[in-house]
Amino acid sequence: MTIAGPLGPSLAPAIRRNRSLYQWIKPIANWYANVSGYRKVGLKYDDLLVEERPDVQRALERLTPREAYDRAYRFKRASHCSVLHNILPKEEWTKPEEDVRYLKPHVEEVEREDLERRKWDSMAVERRR
Amino acid sequence: MLAARASAARAASRIARNFATVVDTAGVKVAAADNGEATSAVTVIVKAGSRFETKPGVAHALKNYAFKSTDKRSTLGAVREAELYGGVLSSSLSREHIAVTAEFLRGDEAFFVDVLSSYLTSTKFTRYELSEWVAPTCEAETTAAFSNPATRAVELAHNIAFRNGLGNSIFATPGHHLTAEDVKAYADSVFGAGNVAFVGTGIDHAALEKLLEKSLGKFASSAVPSSAPSKYFGGESRLDAHGGPQTVFIGFGAVGAPSAELAVLAAHLDPTPSVKWSQSTSPIASSVPAGSSVQVVHLPYSDASLFGLLVQGQSPADVREAGKAAVAALKAAGGLKGEELQKAIAKAKFTAASSLDGRDGIVSTLGPKILSGSSASLSDTISSLEKVDASAFEKATSSLLKAKPTYVAVGDITSLPYADELGL
Repeated sequence: MTIAGPLGPSLAPAIRRNRSLYQWIKPIANWYANVSGYRKVGLKYDDLLVEERPDVQRALERLTPREAYDRAYRFKRASHCSVLHNILPKEEWTKPEEDVRYLKPHVEEVEREDLERRKWDSMAVERRR
Repeated sequence: MLAARASAARAASRIARNFATVVDTAGVKVAAADNGEATSAVTVIVKAGSRFETKPGVAHALKNYAFKSTDKRSTLGAVREAELYGGVLSSSLSREHIAVTAEFLRGDEAFFVDVLSSYLTSTKFTRYELSEWVAPTCEAETTAAFSNPATRAVELAHNIAFRNGLGNSIFATPGHHLTAEDVKAYADSVFGAGNVAFVGTGIDHAALEKLLEKSLGKFASSAVPSSAPSKYFGGESRLDAHGGPQTVFIGFGAVGAPSAELAVLAAHLDPTPSVKWSQSTSPIASSVPAGSSVQVVHLPYSDASLFGLLVQGQSPADVREAGKAAVAALKAAGGLKGEELQKAIAKAKFTAASSLDGRDGIVSTLGPKILSGSSASLSDTISSLEKVDASAFEKATSSLLKAKPTYVAVGDITSLPYADELGL
């Protein structure tokens, strides 16, 4: 994973590896996710990912038709909330267990492909005989 | 000169010997001949053509999944590495087989054999590759093929003649939705021991076997894909098309193993002259009007064959005239005997023998035989052609023509002739 990659820098893998640190941080992370407010307009965390870059666009094309449709629906609902200057009724908020990273695996796959392409483009060939 | 002859004879005997020994390695049949070519080629032939497909177009998609990402390397990795070695990777589909070929310089066989065997063992069949690469390629190939009226006519003729099985189109049509799971399920059912053969040219048999043992180690065993024995139906169809020559296909089907008599009949009727810019002595050649052409189509499959005449011309009137001449020649062909028959047999023998000169011919002619375990030597084909006599030829021709004809017209269907107007 690169710093300038589509997902940005993250300390999460390191924190998850350390069990006691994870137990300390997790409640704070949950609190932060709730307080940041995207769940109150029915969005998922991966909806916030910056999509104005070619690699994420390619990842978006790899969603199943159902996932792509649901994503568009969530955006529509959230922008409607924005127009009304309001949030959704509480039963329509995104539940923490629904807030899954549906886009992340595709973005990582695309990033791996791009890195591999860069590797092939810039490799020095040494032939053994 | 004598030495040169002796070495040529030795080379010939070596080809015969090597192709005669088909060895089972890791559950697949392996045949290889090294005639001292500058490059090597290895082809993997899988009995997975459109005949066996479970859903329309799945065989075409499976063919285009060749060299896509596997557990060992990504799509890009296969392309770049093949380029670094200077090899060529290609795949092709017929009604009964998928053939995936790697051509490369001598000494690079380890990599290319591994690319071929990882296609069989560990292709990932990802959903995004289907939508980003495989489906667009299938669509482009279908569009390109169907823009040719001759291909359209022969495809439609197969469908009318055999309905299912051999009647399935080898081209995926956009109307049928395919998923990656469909392709993977089909691949699982056909990629297995007993259904796969490797044919190598310019590569040592033992070396190829050794590489396959290493790379195909965990090859799963599988049942042979089921297919009902072919039945011939026949019928007539007309397809409106524009932009190409007016095309008519007049065909007859025969059930059973491909017979030598049909090959002789094809050689007898074929109006292609042996010397360029001259007229052949075929009975069709003299009566075809200028600007139109007649081609003989003889397509043998494992348990049936389609024999036909493809008539093409600029105007429907030309096609009508050429079609009448072709049908008349076909009906009169049964009485062939004496020198005329010997001439046709000689031409058929040359066609059979010369098809084994090139790599494509070796793969397409010998590959199916190696896969089915029947004798893969040229001498059997030649001797069966030599055994054709006038009475056997007459019998085969009359039984062929007794069946209901398969008639396809592609082009201006308002003025192209109907089957009965040509005397069928």
